[in-house]
Amino acid sequence: MELKVIAILRRLNKGVALFVGAGLLVCATFVLTDIIMRRFGTSLGGTEEIAGYAMALATSWGMAYTLLEMGHVRIDILRSRADSFKRALFDVFSMIVMSGVIITIALKAWPVLERSIKNGSTANTPLETPLVWVHLPWFAGWVWFALMATTITLCALSLLIKRRHGDTEQFIGAFAEQETLQ
Amino acid sequence: MIGYVSIGLLGLLALSIPVGIVLFLLGFGIDAFFSNFPLTKGLGNMVWSASNSATLIAIPFFVLLGEILVRSGVATRTYAALDRWVSWLPGGLVHANIATATMFSATSGSSVATAATVATVAMPQAEKLGYDPKLFSGAIAAGGTLGIMIPPSINLIVYGFLTQSSIPQLFLAGLIPGLGLALMFMLITVIICLIRPDLGGLRRTFPFPQMLRALIDLVPILMLFGMIVGSIYAGWATPTEAAAVGVAGAFLIALAFGGVSWDMLTQSLTGTVKITSMIMLIVIGASFLNFTLASAGLGRELTEFMDGLGLSPLGFILVVVVLYIVLGFFIETLSLMVVTIPIIVPMVLVQGYDVIWFGILMIVLIEMALITPPVGLNLYVVQGARKSGNLNEVMLGALPYCLTMLVMAFLLIAFPSIALFLPNALQ
Repeated sequence: MELKVIAILRRLNKGVALFVGAGLLVCATFVLTDIIMRRFGTSLGGTEEIAGYAMALATSWGMAYTLLEMGHVRIDILRSRADSFKRALFDVFSMIVMSGVIITIALKAWPVLERSIKNGSTANTPLETPLVWVHLPWFAGWVWFALMATTITLCALSLLIKRRHGDTEQFIGAFAEQETLQ
Repeated sequence: MIGYVSIGLLGLLALSIPVGIVLFLLGFGIDAFFSNFPLTKGLGNMVWSASNSATLIAIPFFVLLGEILVRSGVATRTYAALDRWVSWLPGGLVHANIATATMFSATSGSSVATAATVATVAMPQAEKLGYDPKLFSGAIAAGGTLGIMIPPSINLIVYGFLTQSSIPQLFLAGLIPGLGLALMFMLITVIICLIRPDLGGLRRTFPFPQMLRALIDLVPILMLFGMIVGSIYAGWATPTEAAAVGVAGAFLIALAFGGVSWDMLTQSLTGTVKITSMIMLIVIGASFLNFTLASAGLGRELTEFMDGLGLSPLGFILVVVVLYIVLGFFIETLSLMVVTIPIIVPMVLVQGYDVIWFGILMIVLIEMALITPPVGLNLYVVQGARKSGNLNEVMLGALPYCLTMLVMAFLLIAFPSIALFLPNALQ
């Protein structure tokens, strides 16, 4: 059951990552077009602003994919010396802490969005982008990350209680360095 | 406060909590214990402004460039071409490893990607031609580290972002130390192989026409480097925009070599998202910690702390070098850089050192961290590509290069102009 949930989340976030990656590619094309147009004395205008927004959105929405691919860097000094049960404890503990922090960030991201909704604020730039357009998807990305982190933590806890701690290794265990060994 | 941050940092990292999350936790701690006004209130804004950055989008662009290039097949040709030119030296193909790594460093912003690329094409040759696996694989691991020194460099972009220093200047400053390191790597290889010829394997010479023909295969990489770095210094593009130029160039190369497919594209894109988010969680965490430390009055406390130590500027820098070497054994490199910047860089500046120069010194030390066990990513990457033998061989083989880097670090301290000559000359 837990592993099935993780498999579904993985597939879901792979789709998200592909979408985010495609967005970055579009952004690169956009920047490139602007450089070429500047050579001819015109400009698309606002590429820098758009690139910044693209980065903020790519970051907030890409986080969960990296989490599920176990890409967030951790240090492996004590953990690697423990047996499989203690390793699982390390992993679950770090997931609980992580979920806590991410939920805090998502909660604190809300006032940013709330303000731009209330004041109808626009960016202080030539484009005058209504900030709601970028704050809303950015906030949603952090909420998504918080949801994913919490779900993964619950799955891991549930496996731990069922004494299937060996099974948690495959979605909250392995480290970046080990992955490159495969 | 310095003590709290240092102990908290090491303690939480040892619990194997993700590095980015540790930085946030420390920031929360500073807010709770050391600040007179609530800093966490601004967390949302901090996270937004740290990620809404046209500078940092260079990171996914350079990662994507590397991902495309790795899958394009251009590495095989480059390696074969450089083999024709350098394999007559004592040490033979080991020099081709270093030279290929250097070439790829000039288009790649990441050391791990560089090492992975070279290892994939080089390793099959080692077995075929009967090379000693230690020196051969050590040279790849060490050569790969040049990826973050020779421009473009993701680590220098992050350094420039967090210290608010000029990224083009950092890129210029990295060029001479990067090429210098490559030459020193080759020199030490020649010396080792003159003393112990059995470590080097077969030396080969090729007829001159063949060497000339091989040059054609170096053109794509050199052109790509020219496009990226040239467009920055011609004033056509910012480092970010140059990264987009690089992505286009890598695509053209991949197209020319028939390496573009749907699978390749999706793998490159998802790989890019994964690495970018990994880096960004750490960078955002560091920005938040930076902000809380500065607001809670770290500057004043640092000055007092430094006065209390009574070290000369030189003595202080030597302590910093030792600190990085020790931490480099255990902490992954980008994390090592990012977690130490908020604390170390202000202290270094208080001592009157140049921020660009220190960036380059830090990169040399970080490069060492990449090939020192137990946590040295490049060692694992090269071992991963070998599929035989064990990790100890790569570690042993990387050791002479590690010492070479230490020499470079001392050279930089003794002669800061190695780094600062180009940025000053072209200002």
